[in-house]
Amino acid sequence: MECSSCKRKIAPKEKMVKFPCPACTAEIIRCEKCRVLANDYTCPECGFVGP
Amino acid sequence: MTDDMLIPLDQYLASGIHIGTQQKTKDMERYIYRVRQDGLYVLDIKTTDQRIALIAKFLASYDPKKILVVSTRVYGHKPVRMFSHYTGCKAVAGRFIPGMLTNPNSKTFSEPELLIITDPRADFQALREGAAIGIPIVALCDSENLLSNVDLAIPTNNKGRKALSLIYYLLAREMLRANGALPEDGDIDFQLDDFKQQ
Repeated sequence: MECSSCKRKIAPKEKMVKFPCPACTAEIIRCEKCRVLANDYTCPECGFVGP
Repeated sequence: MTDDMLIPLDQYLASGIHIGTQQKTKDMERYIYRVRQDGLYVLDIKTTDQRIALIAKFLASYDPKKILVVSTRVYGHKPVRMFSHYTGCKAVAGRFIPGMLTNPNSKTFSEPELLIITDPRADFQALREGAAIGIPIVALCDSENLLSNVDLAIPTNNKGRKALSLIYYLLAREMLRANGALPEDGDIDFQLDDFKQQ
């Protein structure tokens, strides 16, 4: 698993959030750091930019 | 422009969902359309409309019983209650008791899979606990909000009575349409006035 924002690999027990992309239902993963810093993420399939 | 919108542009403007605050944050800069003469930031209605449509479909993909809607703001109490009434989600209108999501010994403990908050600043306790348990967080964000720990933002005025009722009304309507509970463009048994806090 890698973060959709920073592309860093996420360790199995590391804090993160996983949810389907609202536009295409592809999986979006955000690591804790990117979440706290409100870094932009881009859906790998449809290009949806959040948050 | 109005053809592909959920409701006519005039109705959006009348409810004031585009009116921001006199402060802006870097996080919300991309959703700001312009600055008014009196210093108020105006939010982009088209983006708000697109976000409501997208997020309503996103909410429909979850089991409604696993969605928690929170509003500490008084003007959000009735909209949140009505939203939960029509969609079947859980609602917290009023004080969010600390430990609701993180303390299993609490009487009010629940384990939602998705959290909707009305204001990231007012509902900071819900935001903090939602982030701690690692569930996606949808937030109604004004021009002065930070997007820290927010996964999906709906840029809107989150302080106005009419604005909050319109947002929750549209989310409920579009969510039920996406669920299949209501026919596409079909009649609904609730009106915008039902969502307004008196």
